[in-house]
Amino acid sequence: MKNTQVAIIGAGPAGLAAAIEIASAGGKVTLFDENQKPGGQLFKQIHKFFGSREHKAGTRGFRIAEKLLQDTEELGVEVLLDSPVYNVFDNFTVGYINSNKEQALQAEKIILATGASENALAFPGGTLPGVMGAGAAQTMINVNRVLPGKEIIMIGSGNVGLIVSYQLMQAGADVVALVEAASGIGGYGVHAGKIRRAGVPLYTSHTVKDVVGENCVEEAVIVELDENWQQIEGTEKHIKADTICVSVGLNPLTELARLVGCDFTFIPALGGHVPEHDKNMETTVKGFYVAGDISGVEEASSAMEEGRLAGIACAESLGLYDNQKASELKQEVWTRLDTLRKGPFGQKRKDEKDKLIKLAEGGEQIG
Amino acid sequence: MNKTSEIVIIGGGVIGTSIAYNLSKKGKKVILVEKGDLAFGASGSCDQEIILQSKSPGVHLQMAMRSAEIYKTLEDELNHPIEYKNTGGMIIIETEEEMKTMEGIVEKQKKFGFNVEILDRNEAAKLQGGLAEHLQGSTYSPQDAHINSMELTIGYANAAKKLGAEVILNTEVTGIKQENRKITGVQTSDGDIDSEIVINCAGAWAPAIAQMAGINIPIQPRRGQIIITEEVPPYVMGDILSARYIAAKYNPDILKNSNDPGIKLGVGLALSQMEKGNIMIGATREFVGYDTSVTREGIKEILKYATRLVPGIRDLNIIRVFAGLRPYTPDGLPVIGFMENVEGFFMAAGHEGDGIALAPVTGEIVSDLIIDGKTFIDDSVFDIKRFN
Repeated sequence: MKNTQVAIIGAGPAGLAAAIEIASAGGKVTLFDENQKPGGQLFKQIHKFFGSREHKAGTRGFRIAEKLLQDTEELGVEVLLDSPVYNVFDNFTVGYINSNKEQALQAEKIILATGASENALAFPGGTLPGVMGAGAAQTMINVNRVLPGKEIIMIGSGNVGLIVSYQLMQAGADVVALVEAASGIGGYGVHAGKIRRAGVPLYTSHTVKDVVGENCVEEAVIVELDENWQQIEGTEKHIKADTICVSVGLNPLTELARLVGCDFTFIPALGGHVPEHDKNMETTVKGFYVAGDISGVEEASSAMEEGRLAGIACAESLGLYDNQKASELKQEVWTRLDTLRKGPFGQKRKDEKDKLIKLAEGGEQIG
Repeated sequence: MNKTSEIVIIGGGVIGTSIAYNLSKKGKKVILVEKGDLAFGASGSCDQEIILQSKSPGVHLQMAMRSAEIYKTLEDELNHPIEYKNTGGMIIIETEEEMKTMEGIVEKQKKFGFNVEILDRNEAAKLQGGLAEHLQGSTYSPQDAHINSMELTIGYANAAKKLGAEVILNTEVTGIKQENRKITGVQTSDGDIDSEIVINCAGAWAPAIAQMAGINIPIQPRRGQIIITEEVPPYVMGDILSARYIAAKYNPDILKNSNDPGIKLGVGLALSQMEKGNIMIGATREFVGYDTSVTREGIKEILKYATRLVPGIRDLNIIRVFAGLRPYTPDGLPVIGFMENVEGFFMAAGHEGDGIALAPVTGEIVSDLIIDGKTFIDDSVFDIKRFN
């Protein structure tokens, strides 16, 4: 059986950053991804990132991915693509499929960086062709260069909904409505501003009631919601559209963490059920680490930092760094993470993350 | 919590919930106690096949055929989507020796009034794509079906509740109360429940419950590992088993004497496709105590065997694996009935891999026996004394 020191599952921003840390420390890393291309969601992010220069602010997402890939290549990280991991067996044996064959790799430590998937929203007509996740629409325009439709209704006004709306317009589509169930816009003001200036009609306190069409989406009926989130009859509006994009949040992809028996806790602000982890990103199952959206949905910048943290902690536990060096490096990452988790959006996540860490380190039970 | 009930049922799997429903339907006051959640044991870690062909001609097949009748209208009766589909099924035959065995079984099943036939390789290939060239053929019955066992359990439990049953979850039975060899109730992690009748439906965990009443039952946990593939368009015709599966089921000794690692692990093929499109590929049959972990050796051997018989599934990605514990008995039949030494203690466990297929009929039989003292089939075959 093949072996490695650290197996990382998921080659998105968190997984790539973790791989670079371990390889830089002299460790042997194998990175798995079920897709044919590494980089996770970064390659479809054509917008510039926020934050400070350390967080690659001003750099476009796909450029960050290119740099991460270049680094992993130079450091000799083994990357296994088109290789879904189906289980991790007792002794850190990773079971996966590659070239249509079941294979296994023996690791000493494992980092789960599997990311998140989009939440679904159920409504009549929700299975008509033309209804899709906002992430799918973003892949179509930014990776495959295909316009999903001409007249688009976006449901959900978090950052994904706002950014994808704007990018759809840049790609040549009309966003005919942005529908938000809450009474205010969910995402950053700077993204919302772009949408407003472009003249997209915003419908807050609204939801989709029905999507109609013969063989594909032709029209949506939206309806106003009262303060108890109940539909107000008589407020229906009919909007002509050929595409409905759903961006109502993400939830962590935690199946592998469940399979290996990690303890979980429920934190809605982080996307739902998340594995508990300590300040080293280590779960309650020793030797298993998490990083990125699997440990609570945030964004690519914090995913990369968490990846670095998990990578440094793995390197330390493998003896590649002494304690002092490791704690210096980890402190640098923590400082940057704390900067990222500031402001009205960041602070809430920081509070929830702190609770999660406290839980794994033997703090009091929450919720 | 201190409660009183006419009957206490231990175990919230398909068997326990089916019995709870059938007894409630006949007006009995029932409390069901489950240590985890519904379908937490074998009922939530099995495949979905309701296969009649694997049942030996006699009471076993008679039970399965009665269950099949009930299943046809069960979704409406329970008013719950249980994803029942009468798909038909086949048992793939690889060797001449297997063919001889299956011909014998099919002949007897036909005499029993069961609709089943033997197909040659080409006829079988018309029903199912991707079959290996070297196969001898298969059996085929239009009467096989499949179902979502978790939805079935939930459906039974909800229907029972509507009829007045109480279902208590996350509560473990810690003792069986008796006076002068007569049941007076159960002790649980959350108080006592007084009752004159206790039904043990704890599946692979039934021996421990029986032990609390001072009774030994020869049920053993038998592990089955199962693989799940990615979602794909309709591919599997219905329920597919392999003849070797039948052999592994009835002749565990053959397995012990083999050197083939697959045979030693009791690997047989059980193939079916879920409503969502994922294909389940099973399974092993192993005696490893209460260990529910999945082993790479087990997965490898299942895949090796499955792709040998159905090379067409080679291109599918597998995405998950799991294992469950089936309640094995030495003769493949459950233990059903009142125990002689402890008045009021009733056993209904030991269906091994047939729990899903036999749950509806088991509910009927048990409610018959408890209320009327008799049922429509010869229940002496379920008597625990047969093992003496």
